[in-house]
Amino acid sequence: MPKPVLMRQMPQIAHVDVNCFYASAERAFDPSLEGRPLIVLSNNDGCAVTRSPEAKALGIRTGDPWFKLAPRAKEWGLVARSSNYELYGDISARVMELLGRHSAWLEVYSIDEAFLGVKGRPEELLALGRTMKAEVRRNVGVPVCVGIAPTKTLAKLCNKWAKNNASFGGVCHWEAVPAPVKESLLERLPVDEVWGIAGRLTRRLNALGIFTVLDLVRADPVVIRDKFSVVVMRTVLELRGIPCIPMEEERLGRDQLIFSRSFSTPVTTVDGMRQVLSIYGQQASARLAKHGLQAKVLTAFAATSPFRQHEQAYPSVCLSLPMPTADPLLLTKATHALLPHIRNGLKYAKAGLMLTDLRPTGNQSPLEPFENRHEERGIGPLLEDVSRRFGHGSIGLGHGGIKGGVDWSMKRGMQSPRYTTHWDELPLVKAA
Amino acid sequence: MGVIIGPRVIDAGASYLSVLISPVAVAAGFPSPAQDYFDGRIDLNAHLIKDITSTFVVRVTGDSMEGAGISDGDELIVNRALEPKDGSVVVAVLDGELTVKRLRITPTGVVLQAENPKYPDIRVPALSELTVWGVATRCLHHV
Repeated sequence: MPKPVLMRQMPQIAHVDVNCFYASAERAFDPSLEGRPLIVLSNNDGCAVTRSPEAKALGIRTGDPWFKLAPRAKEWGLVARSSNYELYGDISARVMELLGRHSAWLEVYSIDEAFLGVKGRPEELLALGRTMKAEVRRNVGVPVCVGIAPTKTLAKLCNKWAKNNASFGGVCHWEAVPAPVKESLLERLPVDEVWGIAGRLTRRLNALGIFTVLDLVRADPVVIRDKFSVVVMRTVLELRGIPCIPMEEERLGRDQLIFSRSFSTPVTTVDGMRQVLSIYGQQASARLAKHGLQAKVLTAFAATSPFRQHEQAYPSVCLSLPMPTADPLLLTKATHALLPHIRNGLKYAKAGLMLTDLRPTGNQSPLEPFENRHEERGIGPLLEDVSRRFGHGSIGLGHGGIKGGVDWSMKRGMQSPRYTTHWDELPLVKAA
Repeated sequence: MGVIIGPRVIDAGASYLSVLISPVAVAAGFPSPAQDYFDGRIDLNAHLIKDITSTFVVRVTGDSMEGAGISDGDELIVNRALEPKDGSVVVAVLDGELTVKRLRITPTGVVLQAENPKYPDIRVPALSELTVWGVATRCLHHV
């Protein structure tokens, strides 16, 4: 009988993301969309930003403008939805909270993806991946795939395999894939399928004879550093299983700004958290302003350290701002909506903000300064109360009080109800 | 501040619906030492929501569940994570729509029952062919 050997248990990284997130969130509440080609449109119903597999099969591509697709929608049976950031924000927060229960650390990388630190033997990690996948599907109602590997870059790659090869069953662990299979998979993937490789960089790599991921794995990291940059070298090292992409604290994605920090010493009081959130609110504001953007939906979250105590908490709130804004005061005030969920005495190791529904500053409503000036006279809360009771758009200032929106307001003709954040927009269930 | 929409689950939270109660029954004559300790106000979220990630609130349209005390316009608290059992009030997917029914799992088959004689039972070939969206745990009945 062989002597028991100490199993290698290097910490691993799990990358979890929701398949076709916006489309899946829509389907979770509207089963009639199941199996139909579905796209979610960008702000102002401009172009397709998310496509269901059926929509992809029709040849629709990300970025296709809606006005070109609309004439054929009926013939295709294609359904389009305006983006519903409040719904997506809430679904995202639920997914992240659920994932956080399984890991020592969780990095929310975007609205629909996260990295988690995990540890265990390959078969244990595969089982963990399957558990997370099943739980998110059951609890929240959206499908996820899981990639597990020693580095972030490989974890993302494994996730891609999990998504595209049915044989993985939605969960792929680098260490559980036999070497020859790995090699043939890497050889088949074009190099721009690697996280961080795109556009001009791809063409320059191609010029050096690097076409597939396998080519890049085999490239000399030092040569790559000299010809390109340290960043590309890190990618090569990561592909070889050497972790070198640290936790990111700040990231501006296609349609979200994520801002999260781990604290050097835990925050244990509501007052302490208020200070932290105030600083983040201001920093996020500066970041938005720098990119000429405003945000309409804000998620604030915090997490305790799983190492330090038995009691853990991952509070988060998703809220809709009264208007798209980059204003530090408004953003800071909004972040404080998290405070009622913070408990004195718990050791919070991390907090962050996610801003979504981003739009260029130029699109702002002309009423913004007007509304601000009147805030202290109680008009804001009054409008808010009326809107809450009678529905969004039922009252407004001046030209803002026209139901159905006026021409300069955001076009969102095909938005589904905000099922989980508004009493008057709950999902309807038939009793008939 | 303008429209700040509350925490991600519709907030039946402390500020609106809290009631300060004594945690023990008050017996006349014998003051209980335990009464010195209040756990704080009743928190409806904590009481009604077992798992924040899997709990949703839906609104009922129609009268087919009157017999179960669920009326047109009532809200149901639905937990997606619960295992549907014989007798559960479930939200199931029927013809692409979310529908509320009483689930019956019997030796002779699976049946979705209305709680109103006006509506017929729906027989399901097998539980595996039924998509249960979630299990209703509470009805917020409008009185």
